[in-house]
Amino acid sequence: MKTLKEMLAEARQVVPEEGPADLERRLKSGDPVVVIDVRDPDEYRDGHVEAATNISRGFLEFRIGTAVSDPSTPIVLYCQTGLRSVLAAKALRELGYTTVINLQGGYQKWVQSGLPVVREVPMTPDQIQRYSRHFLLAQVGDKGQRRLLRSRALLIGAGGLGSPTALYLAAAGVGTLGLMDGDVVDITNLQRQVLHTTADVGRPKVESGTRTIKALNPDTNVIALPMRITVDNVMDVIKDYDLVVDGSDNFETRYLVNDACYLAGKTNVHGSIFQFEGMATVFAPNEGPCYRCLYPTPPPPGLVPS
Amino acid sequence: MQATEAVKLLLGIGEPLIGRLLTYDALGMRFREVKLRRDPKCPLCGTSPTIKDLSIHMEGGGGACAVDPNGHGTTVAAAGAAPRAGG
Repeated sequence: MKTLKEMLAEARQVVPEEGPADLERRLKSGDPVVVIDVRDPDEYRDGHVEAATNISRGFLEFRIGTAVSDPSTPIVLYCQTGLRSVLAAKALRELGYTTVINLQGGYQKWVQSGLPVVREVPMTPDQIQRYSRHFLLAQVGDKGQRRLLRSRALLIGAGGLGSPTALYLAAAGVGTLGLMDGDVVDITNLQRQVLHTTADVGRPKVESGTRTIKALNPDTNVIALPMRITVDNVMDVIKDYDLVVDGSDNFETRYLVNDACYLAGKTNVHGSIFQFEGMATVFAPNEGPCYRCLYPTPPPPGLVPS
Repeated sequence: MQATEAVKLLLGIGEPLIGRLLTYDALGMRFREVKLRRDPKCPLCGTSPTIKDLSIHMEGGGGACAVDPNGHGTTVAAAGAAPRAGG
């Protein structure tokens, strides 16, 4: 009979190991990698690497097929200290997965290295029902929903573009929505700006917007920013968000948001409408063009209709 | 569309509209897609950028701020500043 020590030594001979910094590099590079936490679900809930999917050691061989479709995809396994996962990695190699790596030192070492972790806060029964249709979508699921609930999006403008966007993001369960607009509701806004109602005329848009969003989804943490975005506040405001949605109605703001997002490394979901035409694109710093690539110079005053 | 793109980006799923401009014509009920490329001469994200902070937006900084604060991109495109056609 083999001793545990011998089994581990045998597994280590065939399973390459990488440290937390190597995994961090893999995740940042954007190259395909599947990270699997092989610990028990309660250990996973207490804290895990954000990118990791939880498949307990006991179910690994049964469920790996759903998590990894291409057997050549690099897979990084981890457990608490790296022992369970090295045995698990050996089992996956025997199943034909060619690039299986053990996270050396496991979750413990990841935490000690000061790398970020996420904790699962249990969803309430209401949340489980509310987001049940998301759970049915393979690309969202329970994990995606938790990610949305942790996410923070900034909406610049609570008008024609910001209104529907805010409603859909709140409904989808985006945890924090910053709502920035310095205007008050005018009766002429109501024909398209669906965040506001007749009773809101004369009141700040962020106030009626907050009320409508909270009524739709009380989970949403709305940060009301009743001000125009300016060169003086833009960097300070956007730094707190994962994503910026530009629903502004003027070129000055679009250039400002574009420049600030690029400098701060924030992705900007851009949209504009004029009469019956609309357009949308995403400006992701260093991944694609920015607004200035599209429109190098602002239009001369007077050319632009209001 | 902005909301869907935002959710996709937050979840890291699908194919976001990076480098693609989607236009929507409600009267004709037509969508078009225009490929967008990074401009190496872009003053912000090009190879030798001249905009390294937000000072261009400061009072009297001229440039981007010296515009009428109302409008829409298609007008600029129609004026020849951007690739509108070819989608």
